[in-house]
Amino acid sequence: MEQLAIRNLRLKFPGEKSLLFRDLSLSFKEGEKVLLLGPSGCGKSTLLQVLSGLIPRSIDIPMKAENYAPPSSWGYVFQDPDSQFCMPFADEEIAFVLENLGVPRHEMDGRIQRHLREVGLHLDDLHTNISTLSGGMKQRLAIASVLALQPEVLFLDEPTAMLDPEGTKDIWSLLKQVGEDKTVLVVEHKIDHVLEFIERIILFNENGEIIADGPKGIIFSRYRQVMRNQGIWYPGVWEEHLRQQPLPPVQSKGDLLLHLQDFKGYRKKEPKIAVEDLKVIPGEWIVIRGENGAGKSTFLHALMQFIKHKGTYELLGTPIKKLKNIVDYMTFVFQNPEFQFVANTVREEIAYSLRIEKRDSVQIEETVQRLLHLFHLADHQHKNPFQLSMGQKRRLSVAASIVKEQKLMLLDEPTFGQDSRNTFALLSWLEEYRQQGTTIIMVTHDDHISDHYASRVLTIKDRQLISDEQTRRHEANPIAGTSGGAF
Amino acid sequence: MNLYQNETWLHSVNPSLKLLGLTILCIGALWIHDLNYMVTVTVGILVLFLGFTGQRFRYLFLLFIPFMFIFLSTSSAMIMFGQGETTWFKWGLVHITEESFLRGMLVGLRALLFAALGLTFALTTKPVNLFYSLMQQAKLKPKYAYSFMAALRLIPIMMEEFQTIRNAMKVRGVEKQLGTQGITFKLKACSIPLLSGSIRRAHRIAVAMEAKQFSESPHRTYYYQFRFSYVDTLFILYFALLLSAGYFVAVWIPFLP
Repeated sequence: MEQLAIRNLRLKFPGEKSLLFRDLSLSFKEGEKVLLLGPSGCGKSTLLQVLSGLIPRSIDIPMKAENYAPPSSWGYVFQDPDSQFCMPFADEEIAFVLENLGVPRHEMDGRIQRHLREVGLHLDDLHTNISTLSGGMKQRLAIASVLALQPEVLFLDEPTAMLDPEGTKDIWSLLKQVGEDKTVLVVEHKIDHVLEFIERIILFNENGEIIADGPKGIIFSRYRQVMRNQGIWYPGVWEEHLRQQPLPPVQSKGDLLLHLQDFKGYRKKEPKIAVEDLKVIPGEWIVIRGENGAGKSTFLHALMQFIKHKGTYELLGTPIKKLKNIVDYMTFVFQNPEFQFVANTVREEIAYSLRIEKRDSVQIEETVQRLLHLFHLADHQHKNPFQLSMGQKRRLSVAASIVKEQKLMLLDEPTFGQDSRNTFALLSWLEEYRQQGTTIIMVTHDDHISDHYASRVLTIKDRQLISDEQTRRHEANPIAGTSGGAF
Repeated sequence: MNLYQNETWLHSVNPSLKLLGLTILCIGALWIHDLNYMVTVTVGILVLFLGFTGQRFRYLFLLFIPFMFIFLSTSSAMIMFGQGETTWFKWGLVHITEESFLRGMLVGLRALLFAALGLTFALTTKPVNLFYSLMQQAKLKPKYAYSFMAALRLIPIMMEEFQTIRNAMKVRGVEKQLGTQGITFKLKACSIPLLSGSIRRAHRIAVAMEAKQFSESPHRTYYYQFRFSYVDTLFILYFALLLSAGYFVAVWIPFLP
C-alpha cells in the first residue's frame, strides 16, 4: 500500500538561480525502509523536510507539489544533538512532546520512563541535565522524544553524523529495532551500518534529479562509479582508494621534534591529561585514539598551550616556555573550520598570517596563489569563507593554517562529517606535507586512517596516555637512544 | 554547580506571584522618601536574601560586593555634593550637610534594595518554573515561554564556542595585531562566527520544536503545574507585615530624623 506519494515537486531556494527540484515524483510503501543517497548539496535533507511537511509549514521556502499531504504522524531525528532540544533536562524534553500532544499530566511520568527504556537510556535520575550527556546519549534522548510522538513514519537526517564509530553502531542498531514497524526514510553519508537496515536506495545527482531507484543490491552493483564520484562512503571505497594511492613507508629521521616527560595538562587547576614520556621525530604521522571524553582533544590543547601544563615540554630541544611564538612552529586545525576564519575573502584568509608578519607582498602573493591552486580554491578566491561548501571550508582552514609551513601540525578530527572525496583529498595533501618534513599529530576515530596512514598510534584512556605503538607503515627507527621507555 | 540545591519556603512560592510582589516593591520603593521606612523595608528584604535563598554566606557576600560598590558610589555623590543647611563638614567642593547625608543614604539604600530584590528572585526561582508559571497564571503565550527556555540553553553552548574561537584566533596569530585596529579586528573576528553559529542553531532548534508538534493549540497540558498554596499566603503576609512595620517605625519610633 502506498503511504506517501509526492508528484511533480518543484522547489527553489530564494536567491538561487535554478530550481533545486524540477517535477520530482516519488512514492513510498507502508513499512518501507529507504535510503536517499547523493552528493552534498543535492537536496536530500530538503526533500525529507518537504515530505515531513516542515517545508513549507516551519521553513518558508517556495515550493509546489500536486496535492501532497504529509503523513498523519511522524518523527524527525536531526544530525546535531545540541540543536534539537529546547529544554534543559531529559525528562522535561520528553514531557515537552507529551505536552504538545495534550497528554494528561498523570500519564506523563509513565510515558517518559517507557520511552527512555525503549531507547536504552538508563538514567539514575530522570531529571538529568542534557548538557552532561554524551553525544550518543543525546541522540538516544532525541529518539525517545520522537517515539513519544508515536510516529508511523520516521525521518532520519544523518542522525549519527556527530558520533564516534561506537556511538554510530549503537544508534543504528537501536533505530533498526524501533523502526521495524514503521516507514523509515534515511539520509546518510556513512552507510556501513544503515545498509543492514534498508531495502531500497534512491540515488540523486548534484542537480537534485533521481538517477536510480531500486533494491540496494542492484544499486550497489551498478552505480559504484557514480557513488565514488559523488563522495559517498559505500563499503569498499577505502580499499579502492588505497589501491589507487599506495603509501610509502614512513622514515622518521632527524633530531627530536617534541619531547614530553611527566607532562600534565590542567583545566581549572585539575589535571585533565597525563603523559609520562613521549618523543616525536620529524616526519611521523601520529594518530591519537580513544573514546569520546577520554582527553584526546585536551592533549592537543595542552600541546598548543591553550591550557596550562606542568612537566617537561620541549620543542626542537628548547623548553616551550622559551619559544616566543609557538604558532611559528606548530599549527592547529579545528574540527569546525568556521571558528578559524578571520578574513572577508578566501584569498585574504590564506594571506592573513603572513600579512600580520609584514612579509614581502610579492612573496605573500606567490604563496597564496600556490595554496589556492593546491587546495582547489582558486575559483572561489573572492568569495567570503562563510559562503563555501562544507568541503571547501575544510580545505581553506587547512590551507590557512599551514601557510607558514610549520614543522608540526595538530589536527582535531579533520575528516569529521566530510564525504569520501574530500576526506581522501585531505589525506593526500597531509601526506604530501608529511613527505616534505611536516609532522602530523591528529585525533581521529577513523580506523582506516590509523591502519593505513598513521606511522604511530597513541591511545588515550581516562586522561592518560596508555599505549604508544608503531604501525606497519613505520620503518625501523634509524636513531639510537630515542626509543625510550614508552615503546 | 547547582544553584538551587537547598530549597527554602521562598523557592516554593508561586513564581508569578513572587515576580509580581518583588516588581511592585521595586517600583513602590521609588515613592518611599522617609529614611526610617526605607531602612526597615531594606532590612526586611535583606533578611530574605541572607536567610532564605538557600545559598552559602560566602557566595552571597561575593554576589553582593558589586552592589555594595553601587551603594557607596550613589550615596557618596549625594552625601558630598548635595544641598542642605545644617553643615557637618566642608572642604572645597565637598559639603556634607545633615540633609544631604540623609538624602544620600536614601538613594543608596534604594539601589541596595533593588539589588537585594533582584538577587533574591534570581536565586530562588528556576527559569523553567518561572515560564511554566507565567503560562499558567499570567496567560503568557507558550511560543514566547518556550522560546525563552530554548534560548537559555544556548548560553552555555555559546560560551564554550567563544573559548574555541579565541583559541582559533591564537593559532592564526590574531594576537599580534595591536592597537585599536587590532581590538576592532578581534571583536569582528570573534563575533561573526559566534553570531552566525547562534542564528543557525536557533533556527534549527525552532524547526526541531515544530517537528515535535509544538503549536499554539489550546489543548496543551503541562508537566509542571503551578497553583497557589499556603506558602503564597505566607509570602503576601510577610510583605504586608513588612510594609506596615515600616510605616509603624516611621510614624511612632523614628530612630533617624
